[in-house]
Amino acid sequence: MSDPEASDPGARVSGAHWWDPDRASHLADRPRFCPNCGNGVTGTEGISVEYWEADRRVFHTWCNTCGWSGNIVRVERMVGHEPEH
Amino acid sequence: MLSKEQNERLTRVGPGTPMGDLLRRYWYPVAFARELEDWPIRKVRLLGEDFALWRTPEGGYGIIQESCPHRAASLLYGVVEVDGLRCGYHGWKFDESGNCMDQPAEPGKSAFMRHVKAFAGKAEALGGMVWAYIGPDPAPELPRFDVFVDPGFIDVGHSMLPCNWLQIMENSVDPHHVEYLHGRYFEFLGSQQGFVAPKSFQKKHLKVGFDAMEWGILKRRVLEGHTEQDDDWAIGHPLVFPHSMRVGGAGIDQMQIRVPIDDTTTWAMFYSNHHPEGLDHYPEQIYPVDYEYQWMDDKGRHIVDYIEGQDVMAWVSQGAINDRTAEHIGKSDIGVIMLRRMFKAQMARVEAGEDPTVGFTRSPHQRIELPCEKKKFGASIDFALAWLDMGSTRYSPALDTLRKIHLEAARVRGETPNSDEYATAQHVGIY
Repeated sequence: MSDPEASDPGARVSGAHWWDPDRASHLADRPRFCPNCGNGVTGTEGISVEYWEADRRVFHTWCNTCGWSGNIVRVERMVGHEPEH
Repeated sequence: MLSKEQNERLTRVGPGTPMGDLLRRYWYPVAFARELEDWPIRKVRLLGEDFALWRTPEGGYGIIQESCPHRAASLLYGVVEVDGLRCGYHGWKFDESGNCMDQPAEPGKSAFMRHVKAFAGKAEALGGMVWAYIGPDPAPELPRFDVFVDPGFIDVGHSMLPCNWLQIMENSVDPHHVEYLHGRYFEFLGSQQGFVAPKSFQKKHLKVGFDAMEWGILKRRVLEGHTEQDDDWAIGHPLVFPHSMRVGGAGIDQMQIRVPIDDTTTWAMFYSNHHPEGLDHYPEQIYPVDYEYQWMDDKGRHIVDYIEGQDVMAWVSQGAINDRTAEHIGKSDIGVIMLRRMFKAQMARVEAGEDPTVGFTRSPHQRIELPCEKKKFGASIDFALAWLDMGSTRYSPALDTLRKIHLEAARVRGETPNSDEYATAQHVGIY
């Protein structure tokens, strides 16, 4: 199991840029491990890509170790009905 | 949004990089066959490395590292012989496999040449172009896709673009850009400059879909006023992994090929096979028509009043290598996510010592048919004329010939063009 970006994702962004705080915040809480097998998904072993669906942050995640893939959604508030989008 | 490391892994194509290792499992067009008729040796830069491509006296092709293994002089300035390419500096000769065959200045019984080998790839002609493979042996088959082997009139626009090849490929799984970049933006330009932009591209996307398939990703769309029974959804068209997109309609079948020259340069070509329904013969060609399309004016501004010029603006303006740590992608970008995932999965296979499974074959074949809609956007002669006059084909020296081919085919089919399309063509100086 390895995760080369786990220690300090904020330090891994591309350099001085007015947008860097935003980049760091987007990278800080993304899934770094497969929810099925626990192996890393950010280095060579898979991919985790953030995209937005209305106001939900979705991380499409694929693990090359066990083959699991799916969408992991960051939940800020429990809502009973799907918002219009 | 990607991390910097993920972006690097997906975009760097040089030797020893994960993506470079994957891309070296595929064939690329590197020259037009006619260019080797003009002069039998040609420089090729591919995946960050430099090569000498040559045509043998028998009509075959060889590709070898540009730098001579002796003392690094360029083999571009060599001598083509029956059994190899001889360096112009001291006469060392190499065969098509890179074996050193002669070292004229060495003592007669020297075994030195047996210890010297140049890196050599494979080169073959297909569709009027010379294709090269610079990966490990054994080379896979060069895929003989339909557009390269079917009869028709062949027209190829090409240009060298200052950007990474991946941002061009991502555009191929981004159907929504069509209705804005080629629809709304084109309409805005027309309203400012007094011409009527093609209507075909202004239709709203109601639904898009992506299916992984043997050759890449099949892209589908349902446009406003259309249904899932229309070709755009029922058939769709594929991104052809890892460097092309097959598209077509109205008797034009096209492969858009993006050759990664290096990390920040892409040779982007539009290889079109024109064979409209109604015609069964075409003007004779010895070689395909090839020409450079223009994408920047003399003031350094993008030329955006034609379809591919708009695409080039979107590709190049992302920067030499798009910094994906700053992107904000949404649900409409799922095709892009799918492509990145496919690249990573195929990279992992190659890193594990396996063959890729997408866009790759070791089976000998004569022709590979790709799924591709025929009635794109409800296409007709109007779509064909818009394609010719409002696309990169407007730079073709064969534009008049192509227009005649399509108008003659329409006449045989009993179709007449819509007057708006003629007005558009007149604006850009076609008629």
